[in-house]
Amino acid sequence: MKRIAPWKTMFAAAMTISLLSVTACSNSSDTPANSAQADTSGEEGQETTTPEPLGKYADTVTVTQVIGFNPPEDPRIPKGITPEQNAYLKDLKEMLNIEVKYKWTVPASQYEQKFSLAMASADLPDILELDQKNFEKLKKQGMLADLTQAYEDYASPALKKYMESDGGFAMKAFSADGKLLAIPGFEDPFLSAQLLWIRKDWLDKLKLGPPATMDELEQVALAFVRQDPDGNGKDDTYGIAAQKSLFYWGFDMRGLFNGFGAYPSVGDGQSAWLKDAEGRLIPGLIQPEVKTALGKLQSWYKDGILDKEFALKDENKSVEDITAGKVGISYGEWWYPNWPLNLNVDKDPTAEWMAVQIPGLDGSGQSLVPKMRSNRLVAVNQKFKHPEAAIKMINFYLEMGNKAYMEKNKPENGYVYNWFNPRIYNPAQIETIYTEVNKALEANQTEITLDDENYKNVADVFKASKDYLAGDTTQASKGVNWGQYFSRAAKDGGWGLTRQIKESGAFVHNEFYGLPTKTQVDKGAQLDKLMLESFTKIIMGAPLDEYDQFVASWKALGGDQITEEVNAWLSEKEG
Amino acid sequence: MKTFRREYPLHLMLLPGVVVTLIYAYGPMAGLVMAFQQFEPLAGFFRSSFIGFDNFTYVFALPDFERVVWNTVIISIAKMLLFLLVPLILALLLNEVTKRWFSRLIQSAIFLPFFLSWTVLGGVIIELFSLSGPVNGLAEAMGLDPVMFMLDNSWFRGIIIGTDVWKGMGYNMIVMLAAITGINATLYEAAQVDGASRWKQMLHITLPGMAPIVILLGVLSLGGILSAGFEQILILYNPTVYEGGDVIDTFVYRLGMFSQQYGPAAAVGLFKSVISVALVAGTYYAAYKYNGYRIF
Amino acid sequence: MHNPTLSRRLFVIGNTLLLTLVTLLGIIPFVHLLSVSLSSNTAAMAGEVKLWPVGFNLDAYRYLGEKAEFFRSLWMSVERVVLGTVINLFLVFITAYPLSKPGSQFRSRTAYVWFFAITMFFGGGLIPTYMVVKMTGVIDSVWALILPGALNVWNMILMLNFFRSIPRELDEAATIDGAGHWTILWRVYLPVSLPSIATVGLFTIVGHWNSWFDGILYLNSPDKYPLQTYLSTLIMSINSQMTSLSIEQLEAMENLSEKTLRTAQIFMGALPIMLVYPFLQKYFVKGMTVGSVKE
Repeated sequence: MKRIAPWKTMFAAAMTISLLSVTACSNSSDTPANSAQADTSGEEGQETTTPEPLGKYADTVTVTQVIGFNPPEDPRIPKGITPEQNAYLKDLKEMLNIEVKYKWTVPASQYEQKFSLAMASADLPDILELDQKNFEKLKKQGMLADLTQAYEDYASPALKKYMESDGGFAMKAFSADGKLLAIPGFEDPFLSAQLLWIRKDWLDKLKLGPPATMDELEQVALAFVRQDPDGNGKDDTYGIAAQKSLFYWGFDMRGLFNGFGAYPSVGDGQSAWLKDAEGRLIPGLIQPEVKTALGKLQSWYKDGILDKEFALKDENKSVEDITAGKVGISYGEWWYPNWPLNLNVDKDPTAEWMAVQIPGLDGSGQSLVPKMRSNRLVAVNQKFKHPEAAIKMINFYLEMGNKAYMEKNKPENGYVYNWFNPRIYNPAQIETIYTEVNKALEANQTEITLDDENYKNVADVFKASKDYLAGDTTQASKGVNWGQYFSRAAKDGGWGLTRQIKESGAFVHNEFYGLPTKTQVDKGAQLDKLMLESFTKIIMGAPLDEYDQFVASWKALGGDQITEEVNAWLSEKEG
Repeated sequence: MKTFRREYPLHLMLLPGVVVTLIYAYGPMAGLVMAFQQFEPLAGFFRSSFIGFDNFTYVFALPDFERVVWNTVIISIAKMLLFLLVPLILALLLNEVTKRWFSRLIQSAIFLPFFLSWTVLGGVIIELFSLSGPVNGLAEAMGLDPVMFMLDNSWFRGIIIGTDVWKGMGYNMIVMLAAITGINATLYEAAQVDGASRWKQMLHITLPGMAPIVILLGVLSLGGILSAGFEQILILYNPTVYEGGDVIDTFVYRLGMFSQQYGPAAAVGLFKSVISVALVAGTYYAAYKYNGYRIF
Repeated sequence: MHNPTLSRRLFVIGNTLLLTLVTLLGIIPFVHLLSVSLSSNTAAMAGEVKLWPVGFNLDAYRYLGEKAEFFRSLWMSVERVVLGTVINLFLVFITAYPLSKPGSQFRSRTAYVWFFAITMFFGGGLIPTYMVVKMTGVIDSVWALILPGALNVWNMILMLNFFRSIPRELDEAATIDGAGHWTILWRVYLPVSLPSIATVGLFTIVGHWNSWFDGILYLNSPDKYPLQTYLSTLIMSINSQMTSLSIEQLEAMENLSEKTLRTAQIFMGALPIMLVYPFLQKYFVKGMTVGSVKE
């Protein structure tokens, strides 16, 4: 351990510098290259050298991986490029002497399927990208390498900064018996906060203000239904977007229920969990507020605020309606301007959207926010001899985000960042983008001043924002530029409003963040179906009291058992 | 020995097929043990623990399982009958078309929807039957009240059955057309000499000539009695029509969504297979016993 | 025939009308797809396109012309269909022949028939099949898409039934002439079974063309994907269990918004196979005449 001390202090210093001076000098980029060189020259063998976050191996280390990937979004990327040809891999080989071999590559939508086959046939790669479910399975089978030492020795300052930004909460969640089994990619949980997106041009046209309470929302929505907000003389608009998955990742009713103080779901059939007065966890799904909300939705359905056929629409259909200008209100997260609101803006030049905090019964409502948002975990197969290679590769990826590499690291040179694994993002990425872009915009700069591993992400949004504000559509359409700007940078936009909510404390935490309990796994699908069937029917006009029946069945069919298990988790955690 | 010498080349001819089938069809059947296991993918078949019939009792005891089986049987029987009747009628009608180009055009057009996946067709069908869609437009023009077809339990099954028949009828129709072309042409010539009408010819030559194929298609489709069209229903259904449209396969699919429940899924698969084989074998031997006819 | 009766004429008119209606029903979805692919993307995204393009343009096809993935996978499909169909037809043919013999001539036929038929109803499921394919060493090659289904039992049983309708006298005459089974199969059965071969061939071609899931399972990189596997990756929606959209998924969704391009690919993907049927129809007719001449 003593040998580690010098570089530790060295990097601690470097880290402080990078933290203090966001406007860092451009020659700081020399550091990695130098250190890599220094490392090769002084390296005899793996064991004897000082651990270097970006040290080059003397002998090539081959790493097997699997990836689920999407085709590159960027039109500048050379056509027909495959993940094997990703320029990142070439640099990785040059810089660290690590060679990546893909056991298989598959379109992202099929990754899960393909990965479970790989697990079933015990054919796992060296470095694994896991979700929580698969992490748990592999952990149980003892297939994951202990990364404690590798992380300790090799994690670069940037990576450590990220990992410790939540006080080590996420890392602890993925450790067992003091062994770190995965490097968790986590994000700001407030990315899940619900907002209300609304057509501002329609409000203006009908001389209405943005709704702050449920009653006001009802008035606005009714006006959107009845007063022909698009002025085409046809009765072809409805009030609020909704779809058949009542609780989902978008165009759903989470925010609406939250406005009634009801927390029935985290986004799928599973209930959100609240704490009662005695500190016990109670399922939000069966609290009386849910019934109130259902009652209101029922009358809104009757009034035409909800589409008569919402129960057969999926998210694609909701996107169609938003794009076509058939609906002017939708609940959702910060990213809506990025997609699909931008489509509407491009289709209809007069369209203008705004975000407001979700309306509540009196005053603003409180959105549900998870305690932790971590869906991608980097783990290492315990058979792999170089667990530190995984850490080094993460370091490498972060390093490549620096300004020094900007010239080279361009899509047209074949750099496809989202094909490279493992990569960990800055958990505060969106916040960094927000502050940096705004700073640069306020000072009327032509370029951002930030120079660290976040450079690329910030620069992209800055460019789009500049273009949008200047009305420049040579690089991308108005909608696309606006979408980048209004989701991430605008003060009254997606993230801008979300941070206000974060500061004002107008949110409710989901108190259960463990893995699904046994009964949740066994009975989850049935309970989900039960909920969907009865809620949909109630909204469409079945007697409201069927909700009480639902509560009774839910409890009897496993709900009570889940409540017990969830509370057992709580007491174990609080120990 | 003499019979062996005579039959030996026949065995030899079957050899390649038998080998391929043994490897790729019988080999994986070892996986049926999953139905009796608490299957853990990482542990594999050898280290997963055996739990007897627990997977079966788990599935059969699920609430609504009865309703789901019932829906499956109703939908698949209706599909089965229509998949025989509609193509049969179409094939007979096509046989009456004398203009060759017209006949070819129709055959191609009927076969067309077969090439599109349900993922592609789903949106089109939902649109077709929506409140603002053409079907309701037609109903309104005739003075009827608009109907939310896809949200109505009394309509939904009909739409599932109808659209599936529409999509797949070309397949059986082609088999039947091929059967018609296989009928001995001299029979028709003789009938014409006797002065039999087209109707009589159809009744006494064409239909009997097609009978073996129609029976074959019918018996084999019995094997699908517990499969009512997974992908189609998954794409078209929604919570309001679970009551009439939820089938075994969609039900099991939802079970698996929360965690890969391999055991119960394998149990359902095995259950379906046993029922299928029982039905098909039953009809096969009944036909042999009472008619001396081997269906295949 | 020379003087059609009134009822015959009425029937022909009714029949023509009915069949025209059925034809339209079959064509409509393709007209819709074609219209979407020829419309402006915003109109397509807004769901405004029905049976006629809105904001007509050829951009999607222009872009498609440059899409290397599309043409690469198209070629893979052709390779698969050709190889697969030849092998399937051969196996179906030589397997159906012995099984079409009556029990009196081939005593083990019924046992064999059931040996094959059982596999239509029992399957081991995804994982075991995958493991067998892997063990036989064909994974990640076109053979993984061909060998597991090399003998299609359903087609084989169809063929077997067609063989049975071949008049026994043909067999017997050939046997008396001293021909063995192989000679009978190729010289006697093949020429008279063209309609059934066309039928089974069509199903085999369509089956190979349409199947996409085995490509996902058995191939290890998308540059080997056949067309339908590639297309399926364009229209797949996200995992329904997801409760939040990550930034990358968001980018993927943006990308999926290219609805006209997607539709153009679906349309072009179905086009080649649509042309196969009219081509095969020739053999349906020819087969009939051959059969009748033989008598």
